[in-house]
Amino acid sequence: MLLSSVILVLQETLEAALLISVLMAVSHQLKQRIAWLPWGLCGGAILASLYSANMQSVSEWFDYVGQEVVNALLQASISVTIIFLFWAIFRTRPAVHPASEPIKEHYVFLFQLSAAIAVTLTITREGSELLMYLGGFIQQGDKLQAILTGSGIGFSIGISVGFLLYYGLMGLPGHWGFTSCVLLMSLFAGNMLSQATLLLTQADWLPSGGSLWDTSAWLPEHSISGQLLYALIGYEATPSWIQVVSYLAGTALILAVAFKAKYWANRGLFLK
Amino acid sequence: MLALRANSLFAATPVIEIEIKDHLFYPAEIVVPANTKVKLLIINQDPTPEEFESYELNREKVINGSSKTVIFIGPLRAGKYPFFGEFHPGTAQGMVLVE
Repeated sequence: MLLSSVILVLQETLEAALLISVLMAVSHQLKQRIAWLPWGLCGGAILASLYSANMQSVSEWFDYVGQEVVNALLQASISVTIIFLFWAIFRTRPAVHPASEPIKEHYVFLFQLSAAIAVTLTITREGSELLMYLGGFIQQGDKLQAILTGSGIGFSIGISVGFLLYYGLMGLPGHWGFTSCVLLMSLFAGNMLSQATLLLTQADWLPSGGSLWDTSAWLPEHSISGQLLYALIGYEATPSWIQVVSYLAGTALILAVAFKAKYWANRGLFLK
Repeated sequence: MLALRANSLFAATPVIEIEIKDHLFYPAEIVVPANTKVKLLIINQDPTPEEFESYELNREKVINGSSKTVIFIGPLRAGKYPFFGEFHPGTAQGMVLVE
C-alpha cells in the first residue's frame, strides 16, 4: 500500500513539478519575479478541490464521458496558454531590449498571468485525482497512515526531481539554458494537445486509429525512465496516429510562434 | 465529429460490464473481439473511488464510489491487455483478452 501510494503521488506530482521548474528557470533567465508561482499553486489547489468535489456530476455529462471532455479541455487550454506565454517571453527577453529601453509592463503582466494559468490548469487535473485518492482512504479510515507516509515520500521525490531539473537547466552554459527551456515547453504543449486527443478517443468523440508503433518491450511506460519521459515529454509506448500528429502539430505551432516572435524582435519591431 | 458519433451509434458498439467490489474487478478477465471498438461499462460498488488504468490500452479514468462510468477501448489487435485499479493496485487487477 505504501509503495503504491508513493508511485501514484509521484506520478501526479511530477508533471506539475517539471513545468514549475522550467518556468522558474525561464523567469530567472528573463530576470522576472516568480509571482506567478503562489497564484498558480493557490488557483490550482482551489480548482482541484472544486473539480474533485464535483467529479461525480461532471462524470455523468455527455453520457458518462464528461470527465474526458473536461480534462481534454483543461489540457488543450494549457497548450494555448503556453502559446501566450511564449509570446510574452520573447517580448520580455532582456536581450531583445537595449539596456535603456524599459520592458513594457503589459508583456511582464502577460508572462506572469500565462505562467500562473498554466500552473493552475496543470495542478487542477492532477490535483483532483490526488484529492479523490486521499479522500477515499480518509473515508475508509484504515491504512491511512501508510497512505499518508507514502504520499509524503512520493510528493518529496516529485519536488526533488523538479529541483534537479531546475538546477540542471540553470547550470547549462550560455544560451543553452534558455533554448532548452523553450524546447521543453514546446514539447510540453505538444504533449498536452496529444493527451487531449487521447481523452477524446477514450470518450469516442474522436476515432481510434490503432497504435502507430510499439516500443513497450524496449522502454515500458511503467518503468522509471518511462514515467519520467512521460511527465517530461509525454512518452507513450503505443501512441495512436492522432496522438502523434497532434503532438507534432502542437510542438511545431508553438516553435513557429517562438521563431516568428524572435524574427520580429531581431528586426526591432517589438520596440515600436 | 457529429458524423463520426452518429456512425459509432449505428454500428452498435458491444457493451461489456465490469463491476468493482471490495477493490476487485468482476470479471477480472474479459474477452473482446479483435479490431472492434468496445464500450466498457464500469460499475463501482465500493463506497470509495477507484481509478481504472491501463498502460497497454492507454486508458485512465477516475470512478467515484457507488457510481458507474463508461470507457471506450479498441479497435485492438489480438493480444493481452492488462488493466488495474490505480487506487488499489494490490488487489484490483484485470485483463482484456483480445481474440
